[in-house]
Parts: sequence; structure tokens; C-alpha cells
Amino acid sequence: MIVQAEPVMGTVVSFHVFSGPVPEAETRAAVDKACELLHRHDEVFSTWRPESPMSRLRTGELALAEAPPEIAAVLELCREAKQMTCGWFDPWAMPGGVDPTGLVKGWAAARALEVLERAGVDAAIVNAGGDVASLGRPPGGGRWKVGINHPWRADALACVLEIEAAVATSGCYERGAHLIDPTDGSTPTSVASATVTGPHLAFVDALATAVAVAGDRGMDLVRSLEGYDAYIIRVDGTEDATAGIAFADALDGSQRTRRVS
Amino acid sequence: MRRAPAAIAAAAAGLGGVLAFHTNRSAAILSVAPSSTAPSPATVPAGGSTTPSTTTVPAGGVRTATGAEENYGYGVLAVRVTVRGQRITDVAIANLQAPEPYSQSLAAQAIPILRNEVLQAQSAQINALSGATYTSEGYAYSLQSALDKLHMK
Repeated sequence: MIVQAEPVMGTVVSFHVFSGPVPEAETRAAVDKACELLHRHDEVFSTWRPESPMSRLRTGELALAEAPPEIAAVLELCREAKQMTCGWFDPWAMPGGVDPTGLVKGWAAARALEVLERAGVDAAIVNAGGDVASLGRPPGGGRWKVGINHPWRADALACVLEIEAAVATSGCYERGAHLIDPTDGSTPTSVASATVTGPHLAFVDALATAVAVAGDRGMDLVRSLEGYDAYIIRVDGTEDATAGIAFADALDGSQRTRRVS
Repeated sequence: MRRAPAAIAAAAAGLGGVLAFHTNRSAAILSVAPSSTAPSPATVPAGGSTTPSTTTVPAGGVRTATGAEENYGYGVLAVRVTVRGQRITDVAIANLQAPEPYSQSLAAQAIPILRNEVLQAQSAQINALSGATYTSEGYAYSLQSALDKLHMK
């Protein structure tokens, strides 16, 4: 197995690659190529760097027709994601102009995984700061197991999920426990952590953001989408999961804090 | 532009260490729970992150550098990275300045997750970790500048 961690796109992207029949040197070359692609996307899409084409597009310095073609491609995905999420994911509603950041990291990780796939790699997992894309099956078979970090317990996982393709987690770790709904005096139920699984990481990434914002209405939205599932931890600690979420019993009870009943 | 790739020493990246960091107001120590039952090798000095001058650094190509201070939205942080050869063996917070306890608490939640991301030990049980994070931009750039100082190209 080849393991590599690449600081890029404002996070650390890790690769776990099982070469299979491909010689290790070729696999390493493919991982390097995938990393180069990530850095290229970072330079194009970073809203952190004022000189990036995406930043210049946002300020109006650069026209879309003059921008690198991947910007138009990603904005088209953003349009699809906005439609798919009934507007809960809306890069055009961001302050400072259109901001595809909520989808770009997942999209780029999936592109990086495609580089490995084209090189003939058997099985691999690319993790872009919690946006995870997988290829093939882990050694020994079964499904990939992804630990979901607990939203407010740094030393615990909320659960381990078994995934077929992609998973992303979004949400804020800000607990709204002191908020009161003025209409009925109740504590508003909102989401501390929203995890989405599905076939395409770019959409999974956008959906995780949408569910984090929309809360329980977001869960209904995901239930209506073929192939996608979601798991949320609300700020009050309660949880919900759609029917297709597969919990793994990979950890002992001390690390598994609770599970959906 | 090609940046520093850094292969992780999977076996040496025990998550059982203690991540400690100072803020301008108080010191916080966080335990990073092991994600597997694999023993944590002694190559990562536990608790060494706040006291570099007294840390026993194993011989044999182990080097440490502290990255630039980066603004992470809620304050300023700097990352210290320890490498052996071309492998990252530890990442710690060298400096964290957060103006409010609330910001410190956010950082306290996000930073161990980022560290795990870098140091994720190969576990027979878990292939990856997913979770929301706040401080990732500044963390990544400080980590990058620390690696640059070590000429991890």
C-alpha cells in the first residue's frame, strides 16, 4: 500500500493506494500526477488567493469566457447541485460573489481518484479533508469503512460507516443550545454534523452542505434522491439516518457514542 | 506548482499521542484517541509539542520545523511538523492565539481532526475519517511552510 499526504486546497489530501497488478513505481507516479492536478485546481479555484482565476472572476476582473475551462465545468456542476438540493446548496448566494468552494474540494478529489483509476490501480481511497472518494474494494473485500468524527468530542468518533463510493461531512461545531424559538419556546433543532454518501463526491459534498443548512428538511430531500443517503447529528445530540446508511461495528463501545435506533 | 509530497509513516503515526498547545490565555491539552488497537511506537514523543527544548528527539534523521503563523479566521496558529527522512511522524500546534474561549474551543475541536488527517495510522478497522473542520486553510499553509523549511520537496 502507498500512503501519501499532500497539503493542498486549504487542507490535507491523503491517498491510500493499493496498486494491485500495477508496479509500485507506476502507482507512485500516478499519485504524483494526481497531486499535481490537485495543485492546479487549487491555483484555479482558491478563493483564499486573490490572484486565482476564481477570485478574479468573483471581482469581475476576469470574464468566464477568458477563465480556465474547468471553472465553467464546475459552475455547471454547481447549477446541477443547486437544482438537486432545491436551492439549499447555492454558491450564488455567497457573500462576495459566486463561490463553488462547497463543491470544488469533492470534485477535485474525485478527479484525483480518476487519475489513479486510469493508471490501472485496483483500489484506492482519496480523502480531501473529510471528503472521501473510493475506488474498488479494500483489501480483504467488503466495503470501505469511514470513521465520522464526533462534532464536539475531539477524542471520539460518532460512528463508522461502510461506503460504496463517496462520503462527505459538513456542518458547524457551534452548538445552538442557548437558542430559543420565540414562537413556541422550544430549542430549535439544527444540525451539528451532516454526512452524505453517494456515487459522485462533488454532489455528495454539496449535499452535505445542504443538509447541514436545511436540517431535517434536508434529510427528506436526500430520501428523494436515488443513490444518496445521509446521517445527521443534531445539536441536541440526537441522530437520524436515511435507510441506506450502513453502520459498521468496527469500533468497541468506548468509541461508539451512540447509534441510530 | 509542485508542492511537498510527504509520505506518512503509517506504522509510526500512532494516534495515541497527546496533542498539547498553548493559547495566549490558557493552555489546553487534548488527548487524541487511538483509532485502532495498534500500539503507538515510541518514535513520537508524547507531549513534546509544548516543550521542544526539553523533548528527547530520537537520533537518526529526525527533524522539526515550525511553520509560519497563519490566520485561521478565529485567530492565529502555527504548526510544528516532525519528520524522519521524507516521512511526517508528528504534527503539533506550536502556537495558537484565539481571542475568545469560544474560538479556542472551536480550534480545540478541529485541530485534532486535522492532525489525524495527516497522521492517520493505517488501521485495519478504518480506511478514512470524515468530519467538518474550521481551521483547515491556515493549518495547511502553516504545515506547508514548515515542510518547506525542511526541504521536503
